[in-house]
Amino acid sequence: MEHILSILIFFPLLAGILGFVVDKEVAKAYGISVAAVEFLLSLWLWASFDTNYAGMQFNEFAPIISQFGISYNLGVDGISLFIVLMSTLITLLGIILLDEDKIANMKNMIISLLFLEMTMVGVFLSLDAIIFYLFWELSLVPMLYIIGAWGGPTRVYAAVKFFLYTFAGSLVMLVGLLAIAYLYHLEAGVWTFNLLDWYQLDLSVGLQFWLFLALFAGFAIKVPMFPFHTWLPHAHGQAPTIGSVILAAVLLKMGTYGFVRFSLPLFPDASVEMIPFIVVLSIIMVIYTAMVAFAQKDMKQVIAYSSVSHMGIIMIGVFAMNAEGLGGSIFLMLSHGIVSGALFMLVGVIYERTGTKTMSEFGGLASIMPVYATVFGIMLMASVGLPLTIGFVGEFLVLLGFYEVSPIATILAGTTIIIGSVYMLSLFKKSFFGPVTNEKNRGLKDLNVRELTALLPLVAIVVWLGVYPKPVLGPIDKSVKQLLVNMEYKARTQKAKDTIISMQLAKEEK
Amino acid sequence: MESLVYIALFAPFVGSLFAGLFFARSPKNIIVGIVNPALIGLSLLASIILAFYVAEHGAVHVTMMDWISAGSLHIPFGFIVDKVSVTMMIVVTTVSTVVHVYSNGYMDHDKSFNRFFSYLSAFVFSMMILVMSDNFAGLFIGWEGVGVCSWLLIGFWYHKKDVTPDINPAISPSYAANEAFIMNRIADLGMLVGIFLIYWNVGSLQYDVVFKALPHLTDGILVAIAIGLFIGAMGKSAQFPLHTWLTDAMEGPTPVSALIHAATMVTAGVFLVIRANPLFGMEAVQGVSYFIAALGTFVAFYAASMALVNRDLKRIIAYSTLSQLGYMFAAAGLGAYWIALFHLAAHAFFKALLFLGAGNVMHAMDDELDLFKMGGLKKAMRGTYIYMGVASLALAGLPPLAGYFSKDAIIETAFNEGTLVLWGMLVFTAGLTAFYSFRQVFLTFEGEERYKLFGFHPHEMYKYVLIAMSPLAILAVVAGWFQGSFHEFIITLLPEYEMSHHTHHLAGKLGLIVLAFAITGIVIAYFKYARRGEKAFKQDEKVENGFIYKLLINQYYVPDFYVEFIVKPYKAISEKFWAIDKAVVDGTVDMIAKVIYTTGDKTRTIQNGNLSSYLNWMGAGTLLLILAAAVVAVMS
Repeated sequence: MEHILSILIFFPLLAGILGFVVDKEVAKAYGISVAAVEFLLSLWLWASFDTNYAGMQFNEFAPIISQFGISYNLGVDGISLFIVLMSTLITLLGIILLDEDKIANMKNMIISLLFLEMTMVGVFLSLDAIIFYLFWELSLVPMLYIIGAWGGPTRVYAAVKFFLYTFAGSLVMLVGLLAIAYLYHLEAGVWTFNLLDWYQLDLSVGLQFWLFLALFAGFAIKVPMFPFHTWLPHAHGQAPTIGSVILAAVLLKMGTYGFVRFSLPLFPDASVEMIPFIVVLSIIMVIYTAMVAFAQKDMKQVIAYSSVSHMGIIMIGVFAMNAEGLGGSIFLMLSHGIVSGALFMLVGVIYERTGTKTMSEFGGLASIMPVYATVFGIMLMASVGLPLTIGFVGEFLVLLGFYEVSPIATILAGTTIIIGSVYMLSLFKKSFFGPVTNEKNRGLKDLNVRELTALLPLVAIVVWLGVYPKPVLGPIDKSVKQLLVNMEYKARTQKAKDTIISMQLAKEEK
Repeated sequence: MESLVYIALFAPFVGSLFAGLFFARSPKNIIVGIVNPALIGLSLLASIILAFYVAEHGAVHVTMMDWISAGSLHIPFGFIVDKVSVTMMIVVTTVSTVVHVYSNGYMDHDKSFNRFFSYLSAFVFSMMILVMSDNFAGLFIGWEGVGVCSWLLIGFWYHKKDVTPDINPAISPSYAANEAFIMNRIADLGMLVGIFLIYWNVGSLQYDVVFKALPHLTDGILVAIAIGLFIGAMGKSAQFPLHTWLTDAMEGPTPVSALIHAATMVTAGVFLVIRANPLFGMEAVQGVSYFIAALGTFVAFYAASMALVNRDLKRIIAYSTLSQLGYMFAAAGLGAYWIALFHLAAHAFFKALLFLGAGNVMHAMDDELDLFKMGGLKKAMRGTYIYMGVASLALAGLPPLAGYFSKDAIIETAFNEGTLVLWGMLVFTAGLTAFYSFRQVFLTFEGEERYKLFGFHPHEMYKYVLIAMSPLAILAVVAGWFQGSFHEFIITLLPEYEMSHHTHHLAGKLGLIVLAFAITGIVIAYFKYARRGEKAFKQDEKVENGFIYKLLINQYYVPDFYVEFIVKPYKAISEKFWAIDKAVVDGTVDMIAKVIYTTGDKTRTIQNGNLSSYLNWMGAGTLLLILAAAVVAVMS
């Protein structure tokens, strides 16, 4: 399977197109089988991935417009491998969770999801800036449709806001990408959008700074970083469960992935220069949105704001400039995907049963739905970063890594372990503890087989990667170290070279 | 020996899974009630064998597998069974075994019987990880693990509803559980910072590597690490100002209070200081260590003072736990680590016994906790009376019981160090301890039978439960007799602490002073609370309206302070932030969109399809261009 990456990208697309002719009755089954095959393919990718090699693997290269250096260029390394795996897994489980009785027009939903899957996998596998940008923008379309067609009462407002806001940022990013290509042309005399070629480009610190900002516009809105986060609560508030699950688990990661894949290696000096700026925004994200989360009345909004708060920790890790922090932030992207995905699924479960997400309508759910409460409790603990759950590893590494950069900032960001448990525990208390306050809830059924099938794999992953993160952390660590070595080598200023701690330096010291 | 280490560690885990996976949804199952205590007993047995092995052959060190490896950080799941950890293991498993058997009786009628055992065993497992780990990260796993189990168990009766603080100061079990978890998390942040500092300055989190590297670190770093770790210890061991959660934690079932909030988990902080004695014993961190001792002494007194007036059976014991933890910290802070550990063990036995006795009383009195509604229970509950009496004697430090040896050693240490203020406070607190302990015992068991007024029909606990408690009773009596051999056992690992000649000389007299205080306390308690008839105890309005009584019964208004100055402002600020988020942050975005939209809407009139207006616009445009050209021409 030489072209495994192409298959991974285009299989969902082809299957999605074929989906138009599939019978309505079997749409969900069709979706599950396609997503399952896709997931197995990504597992196969993992199995045949050389974990001892830090660089890009399974490269595919075919020129598209050679006079402009635009090419079909794919590759996967330890950083992108697991994000792809998570995307295919979450898509599969999300489709399994779809309730055929509740979702009108299941066929369109499945087709949208498969298109979305293509764009997600495409973003993480592209090594050509133009292809990357195409997938990046295309991912907006199915999500726009999912929110707009299956969303809540103000879905059109939310969907348009989501689309325009992120699109506006992306356009600035596109200008940045074109500028990089132009600068490359100035220097080397040839046009190329090949990211690996770009890595060789030596830019002055001033140019790095402006280009960093251009790309920042695209990435930061996607993450979403404070103060560009307000589209997210609207989108989550209106999106159907599946939309929120994929949005939180995968789409947000495109932003942080962009920082790792583009900003850090292309602009090492600017990245170091921008640490204070990024960190201030991130700490505001962590603390401010955690407090906003605490003020929410709606369960889903708590999770939505908590997502922003956790993304702040990821951002801090990305700019830790050492293998502990950066590796941790990539692991945290995965764990946040798993945990927030599961939490949105869980909110969806209760919403489907009661038609409400307001916490004051619940109370005492633990007595009525013990299994549901248990699964929710496990995800809660993973969300607050309990050791031996998936949530701890990344958070611990990020904070540990960033401590080397700034102890004060780490302590401020570290308050996440306190305020994170404040809003999560108060959510849990309001919804699950106490006497049953709403008589209507008495007859609620506990999780059924469909829901358990979607949720139990996530529970298993939460425990497995919490206890034994090595299979995932190992390849991440390898590629991250490689990235840092390249950054340090490429950095122009001494300050950047000093801040970036690659393992090479550590070895020399010893 | 490796397999014994794993048996000691994982037997409780197996028990937890057994009860949790197979019986979670079924009603009370007696198999759980037998299998789980048996597994904890197995863990105890393994720990005892290990203790003998360790005494003879030295520490057993096993590395199970890698946990986290990133950058140059490598954390394994490694376990060390040395003399310190094996002491803790035996203490934990002994108390756990008794509490597990006891819970069979106490939780008899609870519909979540199996769930209770699952949590309880999970707690033991976490506690074993905490004491057995060979590195700081592993310790942190156990640290957080016991925190979660404590959260689950305090909130075990989660279905109870919130009430106002004047009815129940803890508001509700679930509220108390959250309070405990969050307050511990505040301290955990300090601990994490300590861990980060260790990593970036040593490059490893393994105890042996870290302790070996300590002499190479600068004083500032050492102090920072010590402060970070101690903040962590303050949370788990409920030292001021992070102490309020412990009394509210009494909302949990009484076996939980006995095991977690008296004997084991709350001593984790003391254990950490003992474990890290190479750090806390260093010259550079003497300031921190002295602070630990001073804070411990303060808490010992502070908590004891609140116990003087409280009417709640369990809260009094909780205060006494706080107070005794203060004693342990005093010893550890002054460098007498082995004495701290000795008191930790002795305290675990008699305090667990005291709590289980209180559980018997609650069981007999339909969960009533108000001492003023009890009295004269000795007729109905002779066995429990004896147990609680013995435990209180041990707590008060009367010879020849356990507390006499362990607590006296701490007080003597304070004298030996020349810290006479600490010494004085500790001696005085010993008197208070004796008083409040016997106030409680006498109000419960002696005096008028006030319970009759309230229509209670107390009955003694099941016989097998009483028998199950007997090991603790025996240990509460005899544990002190082994001070010498314990000293010999532990001292190869912990630094020796010996009294000076001067202190040694005065030891007898010093002991008598402490004893005098203790006996005075008991005698006062007797005259005030134990008598019947004319001289029987009556509530005194005048005292209860006094300033000091009000101060003490309101816990020095510390919980109120937290509510007013932390909880409420936090809520208010959160609400404010949310409003800002909607109005300002999101408002700006919407405003930009609106401006663009209205501009488009307004300028749309330009293209209205009317030819004459197009011509007008064209004319105006041309004029404008000509003007611009003219201006430019003139300018240049």
